[in-house]
Amino acid sequence: MASETKLQGLAKAKDIYNHRSKRARQLKAEGKKILGYFCCYPPLEIMTALDFLPIRILGDMDEPITIADGYLPTVMCIFYRSCFDCGMKGRYDYIDGFVGSHACDGAERTSHIWKNYMKTPCNFFLDIPHTSRPEAVDYFRLQIDYFKQTLEQFSGKTLSPDRLKEAIALHNEQRALVRELYNLRKPDPPLISGTEMLQVIIALMMLPVQEGSALLKEVLEEVKTRKNVPEKKAGRLLVWGSLIDNTAFTELIESAGLHIIVEDTALGTRPFWHDIEATEDPLMGLAKHYLQEVKCPRTFLPTGSSYKEDLEGRFSYLKEFAKFWKVNGVFGNIIRNCDIHGYEVPLVREYLEALGLPVLIIEQDYSTASLEPLRTRFQAFAETIG
Amino acid sequence: MANDKEKKTRKSGKTLETAREAGYFGKKMLKSALQAREEGRPIGWSMVTWWQGELIAKAMGVEMVFPENYGAFCAAVRQAEPHLEIAESEGFPSTLCGYARNCIGYAKKLADNNFVPPADAPGGGLAKPVFFLSSGCACDARYKWFQALGRYLDHTPVWTLDIPQTGTVEYFLPGNKEAGIQFMVKHLRAYVTFLEELLKKKLDYDLLGQMVDQTFKTLRLAHDVDVLRRAKPSPMISTDFWSVMIPHLYLPYDPEAYEFYKRVYAEVKQKVDSGIGAIPNEKYRMMFSELPPWHSLGFFDELAERFGIAMVMESWNYHAPVPIPEEEIAGINDPIELIARLSYRKWTEYNEIARRYNVDPGFFMAAYFQYAEDYHADGLFAHPLMSCRPATYTLLHTRNMLEEKLKVPGVVVDGDIIDLRVFNEEEAFSKIEAFVETMDHYRDLRKKAAMAW
Repeated sequence: MASETKLQGLAKAKDIYNHRSKRARQLKAEGKKILGYFCCYPPLEIMTALDFLPIRILGDMDEPITIADGYLPTVMCIFYRSCFDCGMKGRYDYIDGFVGSHACDGAERTSHIWKNYMKTPCNFFLDIPHTSRPEAVDYFRLQIDYFKQTLEQFSGKTLSPDRLKEAIALHNEQRALVRELYNLRKPDPPLISGTEMLQVIIALMMLPVQEGSALLKEVLEEVKTRKNVPEKKAGRLLVWGSLIDNTAFTELIESAGLHIIVEDTALGTRPFWHDIEATEDPLMGLAKHYLQEVKCPRTFLPTGSSYKEDLEGRFSYLKEFAKFWKVNGVFGNIIRNCDIHGYEVPLVREYLEALGLPVLIIEQDYSTASLEPLRTRFQAFAETIG
Repeated sequence: MANDKEKKTRKSGKTLETAREAGYFGKKMLKSALQAREEGRPIGWSMVTWWQGELIAKAMGVEMVFPENYGAFCAAVRQAEPHLEIAESEGFPSTLCGYARNCIGYAKKLADNNFVPPADAPGGGLAKPVFFLSSGCACDARYKWFQALGRYLDHTPVWTLDIPQTGTVEYFLPGNKEAGIQFMVKHLRAYVTFLEELLKKKLDYDLLGQMVDQTFKTLRLAHDVDVLRRAKPSPMISTDFWSVMIPHLYLPYDPEAYEFYKRVYAEVKQKVDSGIGAIPNEKYRMMFSELPPWHSLGFFDELAERFGIAMVMESWNYHAPVPIPEEEIAGINDPIELIARLSYRKWTEYNEIARRYNVDPGFFMAAYFQYAEDYHADGLFAHPLMSCRPATYTLLHTRNMLEEKLKVPGVVVDGDIIDLRVFNEEEAFSKIEAFVETMDHYRDLRKKAAMAW
């Protein structure tokens, strides 16, 4: 393992990506409490404000799922099965608390089941409505308040509104830095690859917010001035859909004649694209942000008066990505058994093809062992774009 | 032993006379919607929302039909396949809910036929709706699926209703229960506004109040039937329930449904009083979770014949809720609030037992602890479904926890709600044959632990 004191920027991000629990374990040894959470919805700001380190729980595409077979069925989201499997294998044995969430079915049910078998001193299940009308926002605000109270009780601290506002500002700063990094993918060729971006994003999710922002500043400086930019390729992809959390996948795509330019996924733009509004009641600001501004098909948006209006309401933000990042192809990544993206497939394909964008949809099994057969599909797709 | 063709087409032998009558209600729903179409009255396609939205729509003159039920119907009459193929050819993944794919395929056929139900549509088909009522509760398919139907049925708005789904501990946080109910009340008022604008008429609250009152009565009676089923031998089994459930799940406001349940209650009570079991040789009492193989219900008759297994309780999500304590609804006359409390009750009714046994979630899972105690269950038949995730997610976990905490073992037999090819009956029989010995073993363990059964 490289000495982290010598590492900066992208190299540091890669090191953290490869040794994801390392920083958390160091901080835990110094007395910090660690909270593992599922998905984009648990408010990181509350965890940060009460001096917890939030760690995004992820699966492992390299690890065959074994233990989970005795607890979770095979006909469910493979990513969340993998998360559970990793948990049962002790990968998250250092967390002091578990924050589950009603993001999607996979997250929800795995959250409930997790708590029965992996005991931590602190647990909270965050219920999140699927609708986002005013009454749903109010209800969600209350759930966030209960979350805050649970963490206050566990930490022995009281969270003041001002402290929470400070934490919101810190996380907003990080969001802005991420967006700045995404801007460096607009040039042709992009200044940072999809593989590097994934390493940075995952590194952020394993660090305290201020350390993450410091890392981002290093990365930005390095990338802006780098001489060794990725080689120019014909394909500039928007990745839409289920998350990708393993660089073996991004490397395969990028070795097939394609750049990954922007990711509309849970490990891409979705957690970072909008700042939390500074509201008098910061809990309401959190509720509105997480429920109404995080773009994920798990949140039902009103369908409007027509199919066309519905598609515009749900997918028009993709036009912005396509236009400003000069995307010329879309990869729809569907982890097998992912319903929230699965039902969208024909619709989003229709919408994007109407914009003139070729779309490649692949249902995959969240396993590096099953990636290689996909290579020819990406190569063929690159040829259609080029 | 029956040959393959006979096995595949063997209908289930319902043990109750009233269970044999219950098919009338499914046909009534379909027929009513087709008649509504003929008469120019509005039709809605609805998910089961546990009485949250259907009552209100019905009170406003909308004839509601249930594509989930239609999916089960198509599967039972072995006519789902063509619809599934259409959905998959449209690009919908084959891993999506079987009911949804059946409906998507049907919707395309409807659209291609100028919105006239095709002549060959099973049961006469579903007429074109004026709106879709979806649910954010139980699973993601139940709001994503109707969203996707806009592709075939344009200008048909979708309205989604949520029901809070907290964890067990979170349910008991001070004020959370009332807050969840009041969220639903406001949610429903917004839904009423939507319907009033869509239909250009006002909700008749008096009519709704009458329907809610009838619903409470019907569900209470359905619950009373459930209580009767605790008797030994079991007077009624799962294949009976899966028929008689239709009126209470879909039509509880209908006085005909209430009269039907009076007859069900009378029939079951008579058997209890006479000590007559649903099966002649009850040796083992099993619970079934969660959704049945609609295409192969005769399988359970053979389980009874071969092994003396009576399926004494099943399918938590289809049952009437445990009645709300009177003091919680005393003085509440607003039908909207009563509906909210009723639906919320369904999804939280076993949270107390979940807390007692320190398990999560309360829904889909904790009910089986109560059932095991109440029905003296010897085992759990856990039926993971290839295309129904909500009914599958917690099955292995339920099996694990029942075995650990109540010494009630479980057997896992894979299948599907729609695709009969996935269900291997012979393999299932082999598993059950071995499982019978497991149930014997755990009976001994419970006896040694001085448990009640």
